[in-house]
Amino acid sequence: MQFNEFMTDMILTELEDAVGRENCSIKAIDKMTHGVDYFWLSRMWSDRGLRMPEADYVVSPKDAKETSAVLKIANYYKIPVTTWGGGGGTQGGAIPVAGGIVLDTKRMNKIYDVNTDSMYIECGTGAIYKHIEWAANEKGYATMHYPSSLTCSTVGGFLAHRGIGVVSTKYGKIDDMVLQMEVVLPNGDIIETASAPKHAAGPDLNQIFIGSEGTLGVMTKAQMRIYDQPEERRFRGFLFKDMTAAFKASRELLQKFKPSVMRLYDPAETASLIKKIVGVERQGAFMNIAIEGCSALVEVEERILLETFAKYGAEDLGSEYGKKWWEEKITFFYPGHMMDLPQMFGTMDTIAPYDKIEKIYWAMKNAIETNFPMARFIAHFSHWYEWGAMVYDRFIVDNPPADPHEALRLHNAIWTCGVRTAIANGGVVNDHHGVGIKLGRLMKEQYGPAMQVFTGIKKQLDPNGIMNPFKLGL
Amino acid sequence: MLISENSKKIIDSCRFCWMCRHICPIGNATGQERNNARARALSLQYVERGAAELSECIDNVYECALCGACTKECATGWDPIVFTKEVRREAALDGITPDYISALIEKYGETGNIYGKTDYCDCIKNEMADLDANADTLLYIGSDARYMAPCFAKNAIIALKKAGVKFTVLADEIDSGIELDTLIGAMEETKEAMTACADVLNKYKTVIVLNPSDMKVFVREYKEWDIELKCELKTYTSVLADAYRNGKIQIAKLDGKVTYQDNPFLVREVGETEEGRVICNAAGEYVEMILSKKDTMLAGSFIMAQWMDDVMKLVAKERMANIIQSGAKTVVCASPEDYAFLKDAAPEGISVIDISELVI
Repeated sequence: MQFNEFMTDMILTELEDAVGRENCSIKAIDKMTHGVDYFWLSRMWSDRGLRMPEADYVVSPKDAKETSAVLKIANYYKIPVTTWGGGGGTQGGAIPVAGGIVLDTKRMNKIYDVNTDSMYIECGTGAIYKHIEWAANEKGYATMHYPSSLTCSTVGGFLAHRGIGVVSTKYGKIDDMVLQMEVVLPNGDIIETASAPKHAAGPDLNQIFIGSEGTLGVMTKAQMRIYDQPEERRFRGFLFKDMTAAFKASRELLQKFKPSVMRLYDPAETASLIKKIVGVERQGAFMNIAIEGCSALVEVEERILLETFAKYGAEDLGSEYGKKWWEEKITFFYPGHMMDLPQMFGTMDTIAPYDKIEKIYWAMKNAIETNFPMARFIAHFSHWYEWGAMVYDRFIVDNPPADPHEALRLHNAIWTCGVRTAIANGGVVNDHHGVGIKLGRLMKEQYGPAMQVFTGIKKQLDPNGIMNPFKLGL
Repeated sequence: MLISENSKKIIDSCRFCWMCRHICPIGNATGQERNNARARALSLQYVERGAAELSECIDNVYECALCGACTKECATGWDPIVFTKEVRREAALDGITPDYISALIEKYGETGNIYGKTDYCDCIKNEMADLDANADTLLYIGSDARYMAPCFAKNAIIALKKAGVKFTVLADEIDSGIELDTLIGAMEETKEAMTACADVLNKYKTVIVLNPSDMKVFVREYKEWDIELKCELKTYTSVLADAYRNGKIQIAKLDGKVTYQDNPFLVREVGETEEGRVICNAAGEYVEMILSKKDTMLAGSFIMAQWMDDVMKLVAKERMANIIQSGAKTVVCASPEDYAFLKDAAPEGISVIDISELVI
């Protein structure tokens, strides 16, 4: 529904009443800065001097109560609500494509409790993750959630798209790190999930909202786990002659123990990013492993690592490259160190069991390079489990079309081709970046009739369809 | 918008990068998306590309304290302060400086300072009375302490006397140029103010600079403008630390843990991290708070408070949370701004003191 100037002002005064005038904006600066996230298309669009879809109102509630008030207003007037945390997402999930309200969570950044008995931090979901890491560090603990966006993204942002950090193999993904959450439902009701996860009191409500990308409600508070600082963290770099040996070695290793960092780079990425930033000037597939925890266990695990990898012909490169990688793990993502405009690029992270993941890698590489000869394909495998791994495969087009509409068309065609190939070979639409508007069209292809579970939940919780429309394929 | 190629390059590098978000004192205090280097760069790239008017973004260009936290954090070395100051200058040249900034410039034109003050506190004058006007060392107080935190200036004069330093203070001291540099960047008027101040300072062999923000202008901006300072510049904290090391002053002992507020300009622009700690360590059990030394957080700015007073209070409150979390009962400040804003933000049980108060 389009509102005229009078109604726009009427609704504005209601929103101001809900969150305070200073926390409700219709200024151009607030609209434009909430229109572009880390999604390549939004960046390209603005780079070409075009304005992205923008919100009509930007509101910043301070807690669940104010969030509830905003959602009640939005429901009454049937205005779309897009939740914005840090804006660091790559899938366009936070872009207000249908206008309406952008609900920025960053004022909900309070740290309520650093609970060292039960080992969690209770905080508002608008807290920057780095800030809760500081809070943990001050008490001698760590969050062990270290993604490249640690300093820019919020707790809620990571929960909303099921994020992951570099020490995930040992400590888990964001959904392994949350105990309890407070959520505001689209109708404004404020709910809490069960006081502990892993229960048998029905399905885990946490897992309904984690990964829901703001389509089912707004997470406003969460208890995030903290961990002991490791007595020791050791690194070991290896060079595999081929990817197959690396997969076999890693699968076997994970049946024995869990390292914290496991990153396998394909020969193309070893020869580009790893050479540039870590300094490995060798052909092959570089793999970095970190082992951490109690020193006595680290000692044993390192021995097992060396024995296991030696069986598969891995060349031991010592600890220096691994240490360098750790020091530079976020530098990779600073402007000037990674792909940037005018290049076109994308990361099609997918996940699959071991019997499929290598096949998926080769199939996607072949599909991208065959159908889009202007694109380069590089990949690494950065999150590993006893049963499988995820591939962080990227395409890069150095000279994309100048025309933004043509650039958008090519970008989407490459994505569709790559992700369809992953699905066809047993992969999943995405591992940890989410779906957003970028991949919504592929959700039905992924799930088929199972999609009705999502649409059913959506219809029940958000009958007016106000929450983050056109995202997640809902 | 006529800005340098260097600024354009920085804008295009910062516009999609949020890596410094966590360290911006303004963004942390307000929770507003527009308050970080990325948002500022994004809006200005729209202006550059003709998709937005500078007038739509100019207020946000003034929502930056120029504290350098983002610059320090950038692994690539981009400096968002460069384009922020250049756009402030551009706005002045285009006549679109916000009214609240123009009003301050007007006051500066009338009184020589943006606070519109023509006289300063008797407490400073009283302490100046017995100083030797012919001394070859000058204590440069700066407009902030002189007009906004006179006790801070008074205490410094008293402490230097106790240290046996032969110095003078100017009754008609002029601004270092920090005020215009902050408001309109590298305009000709700014250079004139700096040159006039340099002419005065150059009459002395040594100048002790009380306020780190003035020191930052002397060591950074004067150099960029090629304005020569022949005098030897010393920070006030370094003079105090030397006096303590040489046994010329004693330091009061405090009960409870003590911490130190690193001034952003002192640590990041002047490169001084240890001198204040020499004094604090002598005062009692020292604890380091989070975000110290070059990672420090701004605690307040008198200049910025002229148009964002509420935000400055939030900034101080955020910093006070770090102090409380450290377990310290006393925080020692080496800048009049840190002192004034933290004092206002301090809850019961936390003592905020000016470093001069430790000199006995």
